[in-house]
Amino acid sequence: MVKKLMLSVVALLMLFPAMAFAADEGPSASMLNMGLNSLWIIVAFVLVFLMQGGFILLETGSTRMKNAGHVAGKTIFTIGLCALVYWAFGYGIFNGGADISDGVKKFIGWGDFFFSPDVTAADGESYPVTTFFLFQLAFATISLSIAWGGFAERAKLSVYLVFTVLFTIFIYPVVAHWIWGGGWLAEDGAQDFAGSTVVHLTGALAAMAATILLKPRIGKFNKDGSANEILGHNQVFSALSVLLLWVGWFGFNAGSALSVGDGFFGFVAFNTMLAAGAGTVAALLISWAVIGKADISTTLNGALAGLVAITASCAFVDPWAAVVIGLIAGVLVFFSAKMFEKLRIDDPIFALSVHGAAGVWGTLANGLFATEELAATAGVGQGGVFDTGSWHQFWVQLESVVVCGAFVLVASFIILGIMKLVMGLRVTEEQEIVGLDLSEHGTYGYPEQMKKAQNNNLQA
Amino acid sequence: MSDPQRLQLLRSINEAADAEVLRSLRDHVNDRMASKRSELPIDQFYTELNEAYDAMIRRAISLAEAHMARVGMGSPPVPYAYLLFGSGGRGEQTLSSDQDSGLVYEDEPNAEKAEANRHYFAQLAEQVVLILERLGFPRCEGNVVSDNPSWGMSLSGWNKQLDGWFEHPAWESVRYLLIVADGRSVYGEATLMERIRDHFFANMVKHPAIVGRMLENTMRHKVLVGIFGQLLKERYGEDTGSIDMKYGAYIPMVNAIRLLSIQQGHRSASTLERIKALQEAGVLSEVDAQSYSQAFRLFLQLRLMTTEKLEHGMYANNGKLAVRSLTREMIEQLKKGLRIGKRLQRRVNKQASVRLK
Repeated sequence: MVKKLMLSVVALLMLFPAMAFAADEGPSASMLNMGLNSLWIIVAFVLVFLMQGGFILLETGSTRMKNAGHVAGKTIFTIGLCALVYWAFGYGIFNGGADISDGVKKFIGWGDFFFSPDVTAADGESYPVTTFFLFQLAFATISLSIAWGGFAERAKLSVYLVFTVLFTIFIYPVVAHWIWGGGWLAEDGAQDFAGSTVVHLTGALAAMAATILLKPRIGKFNKDGSANEILGHNQVFSALSVLLLWVGWFGFNAGSALSVGDGFFGFVAFNTMLAAGAGTVAALLISWAVIGKADISTTLNGALAGLVAITASCAFVDPWAAVVIGLIAGVLVFFSAKMFEKLRIDDPIFALSVHGAAGVWGTLANGLFATEELAATAGVGQGGVFDTGSWHQFWVQLESVVVCGAFVLVASFIILGIMKLVMGLRVTEEQEIVGLDLSEHGTYGYPEQMKKAQNNNLQA
Repeated sequence: MSDPQRLQLLRSINEAADAEVLRSLRDHVNDRMASKRSELPIDQFYTELNEAYDAMIRRAISLAEAHMARVGMGSPPVPYAYLLFGSGGRGEQTLSSDQDSGLVYEDEPNAEKAEANRHYFAQLAEQVVLILERLGFPRCEGNVVSDNPSWGMSLSGWNKQLDGWFEHPAWESVRYLLIVADGRSVYGEATLMERIRDHFFANMVKHPAIVGRMLENTMRHKVLVGIFGQLLKERYGEDTGSIDMKYGAYIPMVNAIRLLSIQQGHRSASTLERIKALQEAGVLSEVDAQSYSQAFRLFLQLRLMTTEKLEHGMYANNGKLAVRSLTREMIEQLKKGLRIGKRLQRRVNKQASVRLK
């Protein structure tokens, strides 16, 4: 972390040699401000990018040993691919600067494909666009990694490749444009500070389309509809993943302030911490009360659900409301996971509950808890029901959830449906049983253990 | 004992010529009792069933003795007793209980003869266990079976073993002590078991701290009712939606009552009798004793409704009851019973902890 920070400082110094050498004049106040902003954005980008480490551990820990290498490795591979595609097309759809009609601009951005940014910030800009690009790219990769939850343990490797390309062009940037890129929902004043809807709900619904089209993993459900528990192979990985994600979330949320300014990003981080804590506690208690055991994976999901929920609202609500939002998210994630299981939807790493249900809740929560004052500070929308007595903002929030949700779900079903017809989504039964490490990559993530298990099976 | 069929059955068991005949009688008993499940009052059901099983075990032992004589090992060299532990010891066997058993025989001062005795009883126990397996009583998974040398030995051997368990109350040892507390002589010289018990209770006085260890050991099975009064059912797998009647209702109650009973130095092993004795001793109020007995009877009844199956010729049962097969009324009763069980558990917890201070 420290090393990365140092590196980014050095990188910045190289970007702005003026800061280092213009000693005789001294930098202007606005340049200092710009420099601090860009430094913070880069730090936030690094934090968010490191959340991928969290997703690697989360997805690996929650799945079985025979798929570990595949699950972990494909995350790195898809991030790499996503970076190129986002640079070539995704960023342009989200926020391209071409001169297009206002009608089109409501729905997609255009231009700046194969993005070639200015090397430094122009006069009056509060940060260089390069930092903004990286930060936005990190969000796109996060949304993508959330979607993978629905593919886990049974999708073909080629599916990851093709879906990365299509998701990064046709799904994620469109929603991001609607809410953050000056699209039609932004015009309505939809509040989604750091992406409960844009990033989390989008990823979760793509995961949902995938898991429905892929069908449950072998052995997840019995003929009578009862579910079997397919335990992940390493709860320590899962717990570490939550810590990594939690830390990264301070970049995700507080970084979304995109400026250092008067220190408002500190307040955003403050709210984030409270909601995550509340989600954790609520989830542990509700699982204890309902199933009689304090369930570890529910507790971990509770922390994440609190974080997902506060993502939309961290800049718009008072601290007490952040606690309430987190508490409700923690309870919600537990019942949501139960519900998906009842519906016979296999959700191996709880993406639908953690990012979907909590994402919806967090976005709607603005309509209830946002304060007029904070909405004015952020310059988006109005206060919610409790502060203003008006349901206006709630309906705006509901609209953004429904519209974005419907778009992502339909688009994902179409894209994955076509892929299913053309190339097939799922590995063969035999490949699924031996595990994707062997079938897709030819070697195990845990060679010693898996070989031992194989030998034992032969003997038995 | 007015039921002529029942007397006839017992007579047939006592006269069974070999294990094969006995096996067909076992199947007959199981069919007969299964069909009487809903007719008989629950106490009587268990009395009849355990009476039949006891008779069968006795007959198996005399067949084993005969076998020993036939192969030239002679007859029992000293008086002995065949012991039942677990549900058998408590007279609470279900249609699919397993073998939890032991054996104790008189001491022999002469070392050579003692060795010969050990050999004889080891062979005998092996034979008995074998025959009972042929009758469809599986071995206890924890290996508490008379052909295990730790559960079949001379009286002085037993006493020494008890001393060891009391002196070093490791988790396993405490578990064994609790098993012994439920022991009952089913065949042979019953005073031998009484002497083991004498020794047990003398040790209880010497090691009062053991109660705390026993408490820790028995409270590990939780009553399966949640804080909202909801049933805590299986969430995954084949038994999704079932409740574990054995470990989530029956055993916690057996454990709690046993602990109270041991503290009183009371000797009967049956749970309902223990409750009665505790009431007489003034440990339980009449109201409490009644509500505990009622809850326990309900558990005994519902245990009978758990799914049985024959596995490799053995009568088996996983103790789980599909809640959807119960009427709404029964579910309410069960919830009430479980709440009573939980209250009892809490009470025992408190009481035993207070005594320790």
